[in-house]
Amino acid sequence: MKKVLLTLVLVGIALFSFAETLVIKGSNTIFPVAQLWIEELKDMYPNLTITLEGAGSSTGIAALFNGTTDIADSSRWLKESELEQMHEEGKYFIPIVLGYDGIAVIVNPNLGIDEITIEELASIYTGEITRWSQLNPNLPNQRIVVYSRNTASGTYETFVEKVLEGERMAPTVQMLESTHAEVQAVAQNSYAIAYTGVGYVTEDVKVLSVEGVQPTKMNILNSVYPISRPLYMFVDATNGYPQTGPVKQYLTFGLSKRGQELVEQAGYVAAYGF
Amino acid sequence: MITVVAMVGILALIGLFIFIIRDAIPALTEVGAEIFTSKYWYPTYDPPEYGMLAMIADSFILTGFASIIVIPIGYIIAFFLYDYATNTEQRIIKSAIDLLSGIPTVIIGSFLFIYISPILMNFGAWSTGNLLLAAIGLSILSLPYAASLMQEALSSVDISLKESALALGASRFTAGFRIVSKAALSGILNSIILTINRIIGETIVVLMVAGGAAIIPKSIWDPVRPLTAAIASEMGEVPIGSTHYSALFTAGLILLMISFILTMISRRVTRSWKS
Repeated sequence: MKKVLLTLVLVGIALFSFAETLVIKGSNTIFPVAQLWIEELKDMYPNLTITLEGAGSSTGIAALFNGTTDIADSSRWLKESELEQMHEEGKYFIPIVLGYDGIAVIVNPNLGIDEITIEELASIYTGEITRWSQLNPNLPNQRIVVYSRNTASGTYETFVEKVLEGERMAPTVQMLESTHAEVQAVAQNSYAIAYTGVGYVTEDVKVLSVEGVQPTKMNILNSVYPISRPLYMFVDATNGYPQTGPVKQYLTFGLSKRGQELVEQAGYVAAYGF
Repeated sequence: MITVVAMVGILALIGLFIFIIRDAIPALTEVGAEIFTSKYWYPTYDPPEYGMLAMIADSFILTGFASIIVIPIGYIIAFFLYDYATNTEQRIIKSAIDLLSGIPTVIIGSFLFIYISPILMNFGAWSTGNLLLAAIGLSILSLPYAASLMQEALSSVDISLKESALALGASRFTAGFRIVSKAALSGILNSIILTINRIIGETIVVLMVAGGAAIIPKSIWDPVRPLTAAIASEMGEVPIGSTHYSALFTAGLILLMISFILTMISRRVTRSWKS
Protein backbone atom coordinates (compact mmCIF):
# COMPACT_ATOMS: atom_id res chain seq x y z
CA MET A 1 0.00 0.00 0.00
CA LYS A 2 2.73 2.39 1.01
CA LYS A 3 4.67 1.64 -2.15
CA VAL A 4 1.63 2.39 -4.31
CA LEU A 5 1.13 5.71 -2.57
CA LEU A 6 4.78 6.59 -2.88
CA THR A 7 4.77 5.80 -6.60
CA LEU A 8 1.65 7.89 -7.08
CA VAL A 9 3.25 10.85 -5.30
CA LEU A 10 6.44 10.49 -7.35
CA VAL A 11 4.49 10.25 -10.61
CA GLY A 12 2.50 13.31 -9.55
CA ILE A 13 5.64 15.30 -8.84
CA ALA A 14 7.17 14.18 -12.13
CA LEU A 15 4.07 15.22 -14.06
CA PHE A 16 4.01 18.57 -12.34
CA SER A 17 7.63 19.30 -13.01
CA PHE A 18 7.12 18.67 -16.71
CA ALA A 19 3.98 20.78 -16.92
CA GLU A 20 4.65 24.43 -17.50
CA THR A 21 2.69 26.99 -15.53
CA LEU A 22 1.52 30.46 -16.38
CA VAL A 23 -0.05 32.79 -13.82
CA ILE A 24 -2.30 35.65 -14.90
CA LYS A 25 -3.81 38.15 -12.51
CA GLY A 26 -5.56 41.46 -12.74
CA SER A 27 -8.46 43.33 -14.21
CA ASN A 28 -11.95 41.92 -13.94
CA THR A 29 -12.78 43.67 -17.19
CA ILE A 30 -10.24 41.58 -19.07
CA PHE A 31 -11.11 38.40 -17.19
CA PRO A 32 -13.65 37.07 -19.75
CA VAL A 33 -11.17 37.61 -22.60
CA ALA A 34 -8.40 35.79 -20.76
CA GLN A 35 -10.77 32.97 -19.96
CA LEU A 36 -11.70 32.48 -23.61
CA TRP A 37 -8.04 32.54 -24.61
CA ILE A 38 -7.10 30.01 -21.97
CA GLU A 39 -9.81 27.60 -23.07
CA GLU A 40 -8.37 27.46 -26.59
CA LEU A 41 -4.76 27.55 -25.46
CA LYS A 42 -5.31 24.45 -23.35
CA ASP A 43 -6.16 22.52 -26.52
CA MET A 44 -3.06 23.82 -28.27
CA TYR A 45 -0.64 23.17 -25.40
CA PRO A 46 -1.98 20.35 -23.21
CA ASN A 47 1.08 20.51 -20.91
CA LEU A 48 0.51 24.15 -20.05
CA THR A 49 -1.18 24.88 -16.73
CA ILE A 50 -2.68 28.34 -16.57
CA THR A 51 -4.18 29.96 -13.49
CA LEU A 52 -6.28 33.04 -13.94
CA GLU A 53 -7.40 35.37 -11.18
CA GLY A 54 -9.48 38.49 -11.65
CA ALA A 55 -8.71 40.65 -8.68
CA GLY A 56 -8.55 44.14 -10.12
CA SER A 57 -5.95 46.00 -12.17
CA SER A 58 -4.05 47.33 -9.16
CA THR A 59 -3.75 43.89 -7.62
CA GLY A 60 -2.42 42.51 -10.90
CA ILE A 61 0.27 45.16 -11.19
CA ALA A 62 1.22 44.76 -7.52
CA ALA A 63 1.57 41.02 -8.16
CA LEU A 64 3.83 41.71 -11.13
CA PHE A 65 6.09 43.72 -8.82
CA ASN A 66 6.44 40.96 -6.25
CA GLY A 67 6.78 38.28 -8.91
CA THR A 68 3.63 36.33 -8.08
CA THR A 69 2.23 36.68 -11.57
CA ASP A 70 3.64 36.38 -15.09
CA ILE A 71 1.14 38.66 -16.77
CA ALA A 72 -0.82 41.51 -15.20
CA ASP A 73 -4.07 42.35 -16.95
CA SER A 74 -4.93 45.99 -16.50
CA SER A 75 -7.80 48.14 -17.69
CA ARG A 76 -5.83 51.30 -16.94
CA TRP A 77 -2.39 52.78 -17.56
CA LEU A 78 0.32 52.69 -14.89
CA LYS A 79 -0.04 55.15 -12.03
CA GLU A 80 2.69 57.67 -11.22
CA SER A 81 3.56 55.72 -8.08
CA GLU A 82 3.92 52.51 -10.06
CA LEU A 83 6.21 54.17 -12.58
CA GLU A 84 8.36 55.43 -9.71
CA GLN A 85 8.44 52.02 -8.09
CA MET A 86 9.52 50.51 -11.39
CA HIS A 87 12.35 52.99 -11.58
CA GLU A 88 13.42 52.40 -7.98
CA GLU A 89 13.42 48.63 -8.32
CA GLY A 90 15.13 48.73 -11.70
CA LYS A 91 12.27 46.92 -13.38
CA TYR A 92 10.82 47.41 -16.82
CA PHE A 93 7.23 46.48 -17.56
CA ILE A 94 5.95 46.64 -21.12
CA PRO A 95 2.34 47.28 -22.06
CA ILE A 96 0.65 45.25 -24.77
CA VAL A 97 -2.73 46.52 -25.96
CA LEU A 98 -5.07 43.58 -26.36
CA GLY A 99 -8.25 45.39 -27.26
CA TYR A 100 -10.43 48.40 -26.48
CA ASP A 101 -13.32 48.86 -24.12
CA GLY A 102 -15.99 51.51 -24.40
CA ILE A 103 -18.03 52.43 -21.35
CA ALA A 104 -21.65 52.66 -22.43
CA VAL A 105 -24.05 54.93 -20.57
CA ILE A 106 -27.33 53.08 -20.18
CA VAL A 107 -30.88 54.08 -19.21
CA ASN A 108 -34.25 52.39 -19.22
CA PRO A 109 -35.76 52.09 -22.76
CA ASN A 110 -38.90 53.90 -21.52
CA LEU A 111 -37.01 57.08 -20.76
CA GLY A 112 -37.30 59.69 -23.51
CA ILE A 113 -33.64 60.56 -23.77
CA ASP A 114 -31.14 59.53 -26.45
CA GLU A 115 -28.01 61.51 -25.81
CA ILE A 116 -26.11 63.12 -23.01
CA THR A 117 -23.01 65.25 -22.63
CA ILE A 118 -20.04 64.58 -20.39
CA GLU A 119 -20.93 67.69 -18.40
CA GLU A 120 -24.49 66.48 -17.82
CA LEU A 121 -23.20 63.06 -16.82
CA ALA A 122 -20.80 64.66 -14.38
CA SER A 123 -23.52 66.75 -12.77
CA ILE A 124 -25.71 63.66 -12.39
CA TYR A 125 -22.94 61.63 -10.79
CA THR A 126 -21.75 64.41 -8.48
CA GLY A 127 -25.31 64.93 -7.28
CA GLU A 128 -25.72 68.46 -8.68
CA ILE A 129 -28.74 67.33 -10.67
CA THR A 130 -31.12 64.95 -8.94
CA ARG A 131 -34.21 65.03 -11.17
CA TRP A 132 -34.62 64.20 -14.84
CA SER A 133 -36.64 67.35 -15.42
CA GLN A 134 -33.65 69.44 -14.36
CA LEU A 135 -31.74 67.98 -17.28
CA ASN A 136 -34.49 68.59 -19.79
CA PRO A 137 -37.97 69.97 -18.99
CA ASN A 138 -39.53 67.41 -21.33
CA LEU A 139 -38.31 64.54 -19.17
CA PRO A 140 -40.42 63.32 -16.22
CA ASN A 141 -40.10 65.15 -12.91
CA GLN A 142 -38.65 62.07 -11.22
CA ARG A 143 -35.65 61.42 -9.09
CA ILE A 144 -32.66 60.12 -11.06
CA VAL A 145 -31.60 56.73 -9.69
CA VAL A 146 -27.86 56.65 -10.20
CA TYR A 147 -25.89 53.40 -10.26
CA SER A 148 -22.17 52.82 -10.36
CA ARG A 149 -19.72 49.96 -10.08
CA ASN A 150 -17.95 49.66 -6.74
CA THR A 151 -14.96 51.87 -6.00
CA ALA A 152 -12.31 49.22 -6.65
CA SER A 153 -13.34 48.30 -10.18
CA GLY A 154 -11.33 49.46 -13.17
CA THR A 155 -14.47 50.60 -14.98
CA TYR A 156 -15.21 52.87 -12.03
CA GLU A 157 -11.72 54.34 -12.11
CA THR A 158 -11.97 55.04 -15.84
CA PHE A 159 -15.39 56.63 -15.43
CA VAL A 160 -14.22 58.85 -12.58
CA GLU A 161 -11.18 59.91 -14.56
CA LYS A 162 -12.90 60.53 -17.91
CA VAL A 163 -16.26 61.88 -16.77
CA LEU A 164 -15.84 63.33 -13.29
CA GLU A 165 -12.24 64.42 -13.87
CA GLY A 166 -11.36 63.54 -10.31
CA GLU A 167 -14.43 65.09 -8.69
CA ARG A 168 -16.16 62.99 -6.09
CA MET A 169 -19.15 60.87 -6.84
CA ALA A 170 -22.11 61.77 -4.63
CA PRO A 171 -22.69 59.44 -1.68
CA THR A 172 -26.23 58.89 -2.97
CA VAL A 173 -24.87 56.99 -5.96
CA GLN A 174 -25.60 53.30 -5.47
CA MET A 175 -22.58 51.06 -5.72
CA LEU A 176 -23.30 47.68 -7.27
CA GLU A 177 -20.89 44.80 -7.12
CA SER A 178 -21.44 43.49 -10.62
CA THR A 179 -22.12 44.77 -14.10
CA HIS A 180 -24.92 42.27 -14.39
CA ALA A 181 -26.69 43.77 -11.39
CA GLU A 182 -26.36 47.22 -12.95
CA VAL A 183 -27.98 46.17 -16.22
CA GLN A 184 -30.76 44.41 -14.34
CA ALA A 185 -31.41 47.40 -12.09
CA VAL A 186 -31.64 49.77 -15.07
CA ALA A 187 -33.94 47.36 -16.90
CA GLN A 188 -36.27 47.30 -13.89
CA ASN A 189 -36.24 50.97 -13.05
CA SER A 190 -37.62 53.55 -15.50
CA TYR A 191 -35.64 56.42 -14.00
CA ALA A 192 -32.26 54.78 -13.57
CA ILE A 193 -28.93 55.50 -15.19
CA ALA A 194 -25.73 53.46 -15.08
CA TYR A 195 -22.52 52.86 -16.98
CA THR A 196 -21.04 49.55 -18.07
CA GLY A 197 -18.55 48.04 -20.50
CA VAL A 198 -20.11 47.88 -23.99
CA GLY A 199 -19.79 44.10 -23.93
CA TYR A 200 -22.39 43.81 -21.18
CA VAL A 201 -25.16 45.85 -22.77
CA THR A 202 -28.33 43.82 -23.39
CA GLU A 203 -31.57 44.59 -25.23
CA ASP A 204 -33.30 45.45 -21.96
CA VAL A 205 -31.54 48.80 -21.72
CA LYS A 206 -30.92 51.80 -23.97
CA VAL A 207 -27.43 53.05 -24.79
CA LEU A 208 -27.08 56.85 -24.90
CA SER A 209 -24.75 58.62 -27.28
CA VAL A 210 -22.24 60.71 -25.38
CA GLU A 211 -21.40 64.14 -26.83
CA GLY A 212 -23.32 62.98 -29.90
CA VAL A 213 -21.14 59.93 -30.43
CA GLN A 214 -22.45 56.37 -30.22
CA PRO A 215 -20.13 53.75 -28.68
CA THR A 216 -19.62 51.92 -31.97
CA LYS A 217 -16.59 49.83 -32.82
CA MET A 218 -14.73 52.44 -34.87
CA ASN A 219 -15.58 55.23 -32.48
CA ILE A 220 -14.15 53.29 -29.56
CA LEU A 221 -11.08 52.08 -31.46
CA ASN A 222 -10.15 55.61 -32.44
CA SER A 223 -11.13 56.99 -29.04
CA VAL A 224 -13.64 59.34 -30.71
CA TYR A 225 -16.14 58.04 -28.21
CA PRO A 226 -15.28 60.01 -25.08
CA ILE A 227 -15.47 57.19 -22.53
CA SER A 228 -13.30 54.54 -24.12
CA ARG A 229 -10.01 53.05 -23.09
CA PRO A 230 -7.39 50.55 -24.21
CA LEU A 231 -7.01 47.29 -22.29
CA TYR A 232 -3.47 46.19 -21.46
CA MET A 233 -1.42 43.21 -20.53
CA PHE A 234 1.72 44.16 -18.61
CA VAL A 235 4.70 41.85 -18.85
CA ASP A 236 7.95 42.07 -16.91
CA ALA A 237 10.56 42.67 -19.61
CA THR A 238 13.43 43.55 -17.27
CA ASN A 239 15.47 40.78 -18.90
CA GLY A 240 14.13 41.40 -22.38
CA TYR A 241 10.96 40.48 -24.21
CA PRO A 242 10.05 36.84 -23.53
CA GLN A 243 11.06 34.93 -26.64
CA THR A 244 10.10 31.40 -25.64
CA GLY A 245 7.93 29.78 -23.01
CA PRO A 246 4.35 30.10 -21.81
CA VAL A 247 4.26 33.91 -21.61
CA LYS A 248 5.31 34.19 -25.25
CA GLN A 249 2.83 31.49 -26.30
CA TYR A 250 0.02 33.29 -24.52
CA LEU A 251 0.83 36.71 -25.96
CA THR A 252 1.23 35.39 -29.49
CA PHE A 253 -2.12 33.64 -29.32
CA GLY A 254 -3.86 36.65 -27.82
CA LEU A 255 -2.71 38.92 -30.62
CA SER A 256 -3.40 36.37 -33.36
CA LYS A 257 -6.43 36.53 -35.62
CA ARG A 258 -8.24 33.93 -33.51
CA GLY A 259 -7.28 35.63 -30.23
CA GLN A 260 -8.63 38.93 -31.46
CA GLU A 261 -11.85 37.26 -32.58
CA LEU A 262 -12.25 36.06 -29.03
CA VAL A 263 -11.78 39.63 -27.77
CA GLU A 264 -14.79 40.57 -29.86
CA GLN A 265 -16.66 37.52 -28.63
CA ALA A 266 -16.14 38.70 -25.06
CA GLY A 267 -17.83 41.95 -26.02
CA TYR A 268 -14.86 44.27 -26.54
CA VAL A 269 -13.30 45.78 -29.62
CA ALA A 270 -10.34 43.99 -31.21
CA ALA A 271 -7.18 46.07 -31.40
CA TYR A 272 -5.70 44.38 -34.45
CA GLY A 273 -6.85 42.92 -37.74
CA PHE A 274 -10.29 44.51 -37.80
CA MET B 1 -9.33 14.70 23.35
CA ILE B 2 -12.21 17.07 23.95
CA THR B 3 -9.85 19.53 25.59
CA VAL B 4 -7.64 19.51 22.52
CA VAL B 5 -10.55 20.20 20.19
CA ALA B 6 -11.80 22.98 22.45
CA MET B 7 -8.32 24.49 22.63
CA VAL B 8 -8.08 24.49 18.84
CA GLY B 9 -11.38 26.38 18.71
CA ILE B 10 -10.24 28.95 21.25
CA LEU B 11 -6.88 29.39 19.53
CA ALA B 12 -8.62 29.91 16.19
CA LEU B 13 -10.78 32.61 17.76
CA ILE B 14 -7.81 34.37 19.32
CA GLY B 15 -5.96 34.06 16.02
CA LEU B 16 -8.88 35.65 14.20
CA PHE B 17 -8.92 38.58 16.62
CA ILE B 18 -5.17 39.09 16.30
CA PHE B 19 -5.32 38.86 12.51
CA ILE B 20 -8.12 41.42 12.19
CA ILE B 21 -6.67 43.82 14.75
CA ARG B 22 -3.21 43.63 13.18
CA ASP B 23 -4.54 44.46 9.71
CA ALA B 24 -6.84 47.19 11.06
CA ILE B 25 -4.15 49.09 12.97
CA PRO B 26 -2.51 50.87 9.99
CA ALA B 27 -5.80 52.52 8.99
CA LEU B 28 -6.66 53.40 12.59
CA THR B 29 -3.33 55.13 13.16
CA GLU B 30 -3.11 56.73 9.71
CA VAL B 31 -6.69 57.96 9.38
CA GLY B 32 -7.57 58.30 13.04
CA ALA B 33 -10.94 59.42 14.33
CA GLU B 34 -12.09 60.45 10.84
CA ILE B 35 -13.14 56.82 10.31
CA PHE B 36 -15.88 57.23 12.90
CA THR B 37 -16.81 60.88 12.38
CA SER B 38 -16.90 61.35 8.61
CA LYS B 39 -19.74 60.24 6.37
CA TYR B 40 -17.61 60.23 3.23
CA TRP B 41 -16.18 56.97 1.98
CA TYR B 42 -13.84 57.77 -0.92
CA PRO B 43 -11.03 55.25 -0.56
CA THR B 44 -9.75 55.43 -4.14
CA TYR B 45 -9.73 59.21 -4.60
CA ASP B 46 -6.78 61.49 -4.26
CA PRO B 47 -6.68 62.51 -1.42
CA PRO B 48 -8.66 59.54 -0.10
CA GLU B 49 -11.23 59.77 2.66
CA TYR B 50 -12.18 56.84 4.85
CA GLY B 51 -15.32 57.91 6.72
CA MET B 52 -17.50 55.00 7.81
CA LEU B 53 -20.11 56.87 9.85
CA ALA B 54 -22.87 56.40 7.27
CA MET B 55 -22.08 52.72 6.85
CA ILE B 56 -21.97 52.11 10.61
CA ALA B 57 -25.33 53.89 10.93
CA ASP B 58 -26.69 51.80 8.03
CA SER B 59 -25.62 48.61 9.79
CA PHE B 60 -27.46 49.61 12.96
CA ILE B 61 -30.58 50.94 11.25
CA LEU B 62 -30.91 47.89 9.04
CA THR B 63 -30.35 45.50 11.95
CA GLY B 64 -32.86 47.36 14.10
CA PHE B 65 -35.45 47.37 11.36
CA ALA B 66 -35.05 43.67 10.56
CA SER B 67 -35.13 42.80 14.29
CA ILE B 68 -38.41 44.65 14.73
CA ILE B 69 -39.91 42.52 11.99
CA VAL B 70 -38.40 39.18 12.89
CA ILE B 71 -38.51 39.05 16.70
CA PRO B 72 -42.31 39.33 17.14
CA ILE B 73 -42.96 36.92 14.26
CA GLY B 74 -40.37 34.52 15.62
CA TYR B 75 -41.99 34.66 19.05
CA ILE B 76 -45.47 34.08 17.65
CA ILE B 77 -44.27 31.04 15.73
CA ALA B 78 -42.45 29.68 18.77
CA PHE B 79 -45.43 30.31 21.01
CA PHE B 80 -47.79 28.59 18.58
CA LEU B 81 -45.45 25.62 18.26
CA TYR B 82 -45.12 25.34 22.03
CA ASP B 83 -48.70 25.73 23.09
CA TYR B 84 -51.20 25.29 20.30
CA ALA B 85 -49.81 23.21 17.46
CA THR B 86 -50.90 19.60 17.09
CA ASN B 87 -48.22 17.04 16.41
CA THR B 88 -48.81 17.16 12.66
CA GLU B 89 -48.73 20.96 12.63
CA GLN B 90 -45.56 20.92 14.66
CA ARG B 91 -43.91 18.53 12.22
CA ILE B 92 -44.94 20.59 9.19
CA ILE B 93 -43.84 23.91 10.67
CA LYS B 94 -40.59 22.46 11.96
CA SER B 95 -39.65 20.98 8.61
CA ALA B 96 -40.59 24.25 6.91
CA ILE B 97 -38.27 26.08 9.30
CA ASP B 98 -35.49 23.58 8.71
CA LEU B 99 -35.93 23.89 4.96
CA LEU B 100 -35.93 27.70 5.13
CA SER B 101 -32.76 27.76 7.19
CA GLY B 102 -31.04 25.61 4.58
CA ILE B 103 -31.71 27.89 1.61
CA PRO B 104 -28.47 29.57 0.46
CA THR B 105 -28.59 33.30 1.16
CA VAL B 106 -27.64 34.10 -2.41
CA ILE B 107 -30.84 32.40 -3.59
CA ILE B 108 -32.91 34.51 -1.20
CA GLY B 109 -31.11 37.61 -2.48
CA SER B 110 -31.80 36.75 -6.12
CA PHE B 111 -35.43 35.96 -5.38
CA LEU B 112 -35.95 39.32 -3.66
CA PHE B 113 -34.14 41.20 -6.40
CA ILE B 114 -36.00 39.58 -9.28
CA TYR B 115 -39.51 39.10 -7.85
CA ILE B 116 -40.06 41.32 -4.82
CA SER B 117 -38.17 44.42 -5.91
CA PRO B 118 -40.49 45.13 -8.92
CA ILE B 119 -43.50 44.82 -6.58
CA LEU B 120 -42.03 47.36 -4.18
CA MET B 121 -41.40 49.68 -7.13
CA ASN B 122 -45.20 49.76 -7.65
CA PHE B 123 -45.63 50.80 -4.03
CA GLY B 124 -43.39 53.83 -4.32
CA ALA B 125 -39.84 52.52 -4.04
CA TRP B 126 -37.61 54.64 -6.25
CA SER B 127 -34.59 52.38 -6.09
CA THR B 128 -34.47 48.65 -6.87
CA GLY B 129 -32.40 47.99 -3.77
CA ASN B 130 -33.61 49.66 -0.59
CA LEU B 131 -33.79 49.53 3.18
CA LEU B 132 -37.14 47.74 3.28
CA LEU B 133 -36.13 45.05 0.82
CA ALA B 134 -32.92 44.36 2.74
CA ALA B 135 -34.85 44.20 6.01
CA ILE B 136 -37.28 41.70 4.47
CA GLY B 137 -34.36 39.60 3.26
CA LEU B 138 -32.68 39.64 6.66
CA SER B 139 -35.98 38.74 8.33
CA ILE B 140 -36.50 35.72 6.08
CA LEU B 141 -32.96 34.62 6.82
CA SER B 142 -33.08 34.95 10.56
CA LEU B 143 -36.67 33.83 11.12
CA PRO B 144 -35.90 30.09 11.39
CA TYR B 145 -33.07 30.93 13.74
CA ALA B 146 -35.19 33.17 16.00
CA ALA B 147 -38.18 30.83 16.03
CA SER B 148 -36.28 27.66 16.89
CA LEU B 149 -34.18 29.38 19.58
CA MET B 150 -37.27 30.84 21.22
CA GLN B 151 -39.14 27.56 21.03
CA GLU B 152 -36.22 25.88 22.74
CA ALA B 153 -36.33 28.52 25.46
CA LEU B 154 -40.06 27.92 26.02
CA SER B 155 -39.70 24.14 26.02
CA SER B 156 -36.93 24.26 28.58
CA VAL B 157 -39.38 25.55 31.20
CA ASP B 158 -40.55 22.75 33.50
CA ILE B 159 -43.93 21.43 32.34
CA SER B 160 -45.20 21.35 35.95
CA LEU B 161 -45.23 25.15 35.99
CA LYS B 162 -47.65 25.26 33.11
CA GLU B 163 -49.74 22.46 34.55
CA SER B 164 -50.07 24.13 37.93
CA ALA B 165 -51.11 27.39 36.25
CA LEU B 166 -53.75 25.54 34.28
CA ALA B 167 -54.88 23.75 37.44
CA LEU B 168 -55.36 27.09 39.14
CA GLY B 169 -57.78 28.04 36.41
CA ALA B 170 -55.54 30.08 34.08
CA SER B 171 -56.53 29.94 30.42
CA ARG B 172 -54.19 28.26 27.97
CA PHE B 173 -53.09 31.64 26.58
CA THR B 174 -52.46 33.10 30.03
CA ALA B 175 -50.51 30.06 31.12
CA GLY B 176 -48.34 30.16 28.02
CA PHE B 177 -47.97 33.91 27.66
CA ARG B 178 -47.88 35.20 31.24
CA ILE B 179 -46.42 32.25 33.14
CA VAL B 180 -44.22 30.15 30.85
CA SER B 181 -42.89 33.02 28.75
CA LYS B 182 -41.97 34.90 31.90
CA ALA B 183 -40.14 31.88 33.25
CA ALA B 184 -38.37 31.52 29.89
CA LEU B 185 -37.57 35.23 29.65
CA SER B 186 -33.82 34.87 29.99
CA GLY B 187 -33.79 32.28 27.22
CA ILE B 188 -35.98 34.48 25.03
CA LEU B 189 -33.79 37.54 25.60
CA ASN B 190 -30.82 35.40 24.77
CA SER B 191 -32.48 34.29 21.52
CA ILE B 192 -33.19 37.92 20.65
CA ILE B 193 -29.59 38.92 21.17
CA LEU B 194 -28.29 35.97 19.17
CA THR B 195 -30.72 36.78 16.36
CA ILE B 196 -29.57 40.41 16.29
CA ASN B 197 -26.01 39.17 16.26
CA ARG B 198 -26.77 37.03 13.26
CA ILE B 199 -28.57 39.81 11.38
CA ILE B 200 -25.76 42.34 11.79
CA GLY B 201 -23.19 39.98 10.30
CA GLU B 202 -25.22 38.88 7.29
CA THR B 203 -23.56 39.83 4.03
CA ILE B 204 -24.76 38.45 0.73
CA VAL B 205 -28.38 39.54 1.00
CA VAL B 206 -27.49 43.10 1.94
CA LEU B 207 -24.89 43.18 -0.80
CA MET B 208 -27.52 42.20 -3.35
CA VAL B 209 -30.62 44.11 -2.29
CA ALA B 210 -29.67 46.96 0.06
CA GLY B 211 -28.91 49.34 -2.80
CA GLY B 212 -25.30 50.13 -2.00
CA ALA B 213 -25.34 53.89 -1.31
CA ALA B 214 -23.41 54.91 1.80
CA ILE B 215 -25.96 57.46 3.02
CA ILE B 216 -28.01 57.71 6.19
CA PRO B 217 -31.52 56.79 5.03
CA LYS B 218 -34.46 59.15 5.49
CA SER B 219 -37.14 56.70 4.37
CA ILE B 220 -37.57 52.95 3.97
CA TRP B 221 -37.17 53.38 0.20
CA ASP B 222 -33.66 54.80 0.47
CA PRO B 223 -30.71 52.59 -0.45
CA VAL B 224 -28.23 51.74 2.30
CA ARG B 225 -24.80 50.18 2.51
CA PRO B 226 -23.95 48.35 5.72
CA LEU B 227 -20.35 47.55 6.67
CA THR B 228 -20.59 43.91 5.63
CA ALA B 229 -21.66 44.90 2.10
CA ALA B 230 -18.76 47.33 1.79
CA ILE B 231 -16.25 44.70 2.89
CA ALA B 232 -17.64 42.04 0.56
CA SER B 233 -17.86 44.40 -2.38
CA GLU B 234 -14.40 45.91 -2.12
CA MET B 235 -12.18 43.31 -0.49
CA GLY B 236 -11.76 41.35 -3.71
CA GLU B 237 -10.29 44.20 -5.69
CA VAL B 238 -8.31 46.22 -3.20
CA PRO B 239 -4.48 46.21 -3.33
CA ILE B 240 -3.26 44.14 -0.37
CA GLY B 241 -1.44 46.17 2.26
CA SER B 242 -2.89 49.55 1.23
CA THR B 243 -4.72 51.88 3.60
CA HIS B 244 -7.95 51.02 1.80
CA TYR B 245 -7.32 47.33 2.58
CA SER B 246 -6.60 48.14 6.19
CA ALA B 247 -9.71 50.34 6.42
CA LEU B 248 -11.84 47.39 5.34
CA PHE B 249 -10.32 45.42 8.20
CA THR B 250 -11.25 48.26 10.53
CA ALA B 251 -14.83 47.80 9.34
CA GLY B 252 -14.47 44.11 10.15
CA LEU B 253 -13.10 44.98 13.58
CA ILE B 254 -16.10 47.22 14.29
CA LEU B 255 -18.43 44.33 13.42
CA LEU B 256 -16.43 41.94 15.54
CA MET B 257 -16.59 44.33 18.51
CA ILE B 258 -20.37 44.70 18.16
CA SER B 259 -20.76 40.94 18.03
CA PHE B 260 -18.45 40.54 21.03
CA ILE B 261 -20.41 43.08 23.07
CA LEU B 262 -23.72 41.44 22.16
CA THR B 263 -22.39 38.03 23.22
CA MET B 264 -21.21 39.50 26.53
CA ILE B 265 -24.64 41.05 27.13
CA SER B 266 -26.27 37.72 26.30
CA ARG B 267 -24.10 35.95 28.90
CA ARG B 268 -24.82 38.61 31.49
CA VAL B 269 -28.57 38.26 30.88
CA THR B 270 -28.49 34.48 31.23
CA ARG B 271 -26.46 34.65 34.42
CA SER B 272 -28.46 37.40 36.14
CA TRP B 273 -31.67 35.52 35.56
CA LYS B 274 -30.39 32.22 36.84
CA SER B 275 -29.02 33.58 40.11
